Amino acid sequence: MEVKPDLTLDLKGLLCPMPVVKINQAIKNVPIGGVIEAYATDPGVMADIPAWCRSTGNELVTIEKQDKVIRFVVRRLK
Amino acid sequence: MSATTLWGWIVLIALGLCIGGLGWRLYGLLARPYRPDRAQPRGSAWRGIVYAFTWGMMPWAKESTRRHFLPYVRGVLFHLGIFATLATLAVSPWRSALPASITMAGLVFTGIGAVGGLIGILMRIFDERLRALSHPDDYAAVVLVTVWQAAGMAFWTDPRWTAAFYALSALTLIAIPLTKIRHCIYFFFSRFFFGLFYGRRAVLG
Amino acid sequence: MSERIQQALTAFEKSLDRRLLAALEVCARCGICAESCHVFAAEPDFRNAPAAKAEAVRRFYRRLHDPIGRLFPWWVGAKDLTEADLEELAEIAFGACTLCRRCTMNCPMGVDTALIMRATRAMLTAAGKAPEMLTQLADAAIAREENLEFFREFYIDQIRELERELQEQTGDPDARIPVEKAGAEILYVALSGAHTILPAAVLFHAVGADWTLSMFEAANYGYFLADLQRARAIARRIVDEARRLGVKEIILAECGHAYTVLRWEAPNWFEDFPFRVRSIIEAAAEWIQQGRLPLDPSANPEPVTYHDSCNLGRNGGLLEEPRIILRAVVQDFREMSPNRAENFCCGGGAGLVAVPEWYEKRMRAGRRKVEQIRQTGARIVAASCDNCRLQLGDLNDYYGLGIRVSGLIDLVVNAYLAARRMKATAPAAPVRVSVQELI
Ligand code: SF4
Ligand code: SF4
Repeated sequence: MEVKPDLTLDLKGLLCPMPVVKINQAIKNVPIGGVIEAYATDPGVMADIPAWCRSTGNELVTIEKQDKVIRFVVRRLK
Repeated sequence: MSATTLWGWIVLIALGLCIGGLGWRLYGLLARPYRPDRAQPRGSAWRGIVYAFTWGMMPWAKESTRRHFLPYVRGVLFHLGIFATLATLAVSPWRSALPASITMAGLVFTGIGAVGGLIGILMRIFDERLRALSHPDDYAAVVLVTVWQAAGMAFWTDPRWTAAFYALSALTLIAIPLTKIRHCIYFFFSRFFFGLFYGRRAVLG
Repeated sequence: MSERIQQALTAFEKSLDRRLLAALEVCARCGICAESCHVFAAEPDFRNAPAAKAEAVRRFYRRLHDPIGRLFPWWVGAKDLTEADLEELAEIAFGACTLCRRCTMNCPMGVDTALIMRATRAMLTAAGKAPEMLTQLADAAIAREENLEFFREFYIDQIRELERELQEQTGDPDARIPVEKAGAEILYVALSGAHTILPAAVLFHAVGADWTLSMFEAANYGYFLADLQRARAIARRIVDEARRLGVKEIILAECGHAYTVLRWEAPNWFEDFPFRVRSIIEAAAEWIQQGRLPLDPSANPEPVTYHDSCNLGRNGGLLEEPRIILRAVVQDFREMSPNRAENFCCGGGAGLVAVPEWYEKRMRAGRRKVEQIRQTGARIVAASCDNCRLQLGDLNDYYGLGIRVSGLIDLVVNAYLAARRMKATAPAAPVRVSVQELI
């Protein structure tokens, strides 16, 4: 079942480490249990976002590539 | 025992304290670990070190000293005066036997140092930037050394100043390891590390 | 003394080696270093002068280590370290110093203010006062290795896609981006993101290099934290990979601090370090000098200037390589003034670009760089460091510079691909035979 995001971010065109920096900023604006959906184009996020989730203890709900755009959904756990 | 001889002994004791104090500072430095760089160098460490102590000290070698040309030259002359005053102290027991040329050179160089010091004191008082950076120790150090150089100059003009010169010499020697004047020993290490770093990395030298 | 202060001071003591002690002791407080710092040059408030920043550290150093500072602290400006000081020191060491060492070059004593600031960063990290973002980025890099199996699939997928782009660009259906190829000569360590992988792959293909791409990124946020443990853990991923694959050389993407870490620092951290480490710009300059890359500079017709990254240039020695490259691949190369070892930092180094709260601060700190760029009249600013590129891009938007920021290798690839196209479309060159040969 697709979750409804509390916040949607457009990170297209941003290069590493900016997508991670933006997510880290944005996550503070959603409540615990809240969800952020983001779109990025830099393939670096495919490794960086899951790694960031692991190290900060947040949940990576999904990460997928739709043509040139990467869509990912993160749930704030802490 | 004449007053001069007594002061002579006091200076020798002060010299002993100075050497002991600097030795203790040096020990404090050398007791700390040294972590040499193991990476393959790109350039010559020695060329960098030689550069750091020679060409790299010239007033035209750095943007900062080109910009602050006169204050830098003032600093160089002030330090030259310090060496001259130290030399004055070393040869002072034989003053009457020295040729006139030495007396003249001693007078000129201690004089230049004292003038340099005086300008330094005024700069530290009136330059807002230097004032912001300075502690009482900085003012005291430059005043002491300037007065000492002036006493050195006076000593060359008239031997009656010998006792005053010796008294100030003793004070300065004791002050060296305790005040900011101690940067004289760290200078060699700092410039050495600087030259080593930039020589190995083929940036300077 | 609070536990936090205790942790801070313990970390500081650990850093206090001969070099640091000399740097702390030797400053004569002459103040002539002030304008050499880009932070001061942009905002001439004396608190931004290198000596003033270092004084904030010397205050508690003297209280601890100078007998006069212990007995009469007011005489030498000594002061106990407090929690409030930690906040101030974090602003200084992480926010107002990019560890560029321009002041060191300009100090008659050679005071290494960057070293003092690194020790301060280490102390703040130990006391939990480092910027959260830098810590998170460092930890994410470590997590990437700990969960390698999980990432491998994602990563290889990405690379296969890039490989298709490589094949298109080179016109060679067999062009490959090898990953984890045992026995390759070169391990290429890129940054996270395609922009440092694809152009390098084009060049490796062009010279027929025997290479493989690293599973890890070259960036090392642990180094910005001055946290030796994290920095080592992040570097170890690459060193272990290089050992495992048996490569002879590590070539790094265009990244300033990665070069400092792997070229200059890592050999101090690992007993066994049997490979040469080079930046891709050293390799590219060498290939150009050897004539192994056909190049057509008319592919880069606009005026180009070069921004020397502090890590690569002043602190790394890569001063001529970028010039060798630019003279070969662009039509109109213009030097900034000052340049090479005297160049000004872009204002975003040492992790500043990654801390969102310091955006305004780094925009102000880049003012001197903006003036330098404007004076050249260049349309393209080439930089060989991702950190610098990000900052220059932001400065471009902030100050309306109207420039484009490019990596050096991108310019090389433009010139190379243009030369190939020219060769492919040019009519066969007439065969000239000399009269002597005919006789
Ligand atoms: S750091 Fe160097 S140039 Fe700056 S005040 Fe100290 S001694 Fe002078
Ligand atoms: S290292 Fe660079 S940023 Fe830091 S004080 Fe020196 S000149 Fe300024």
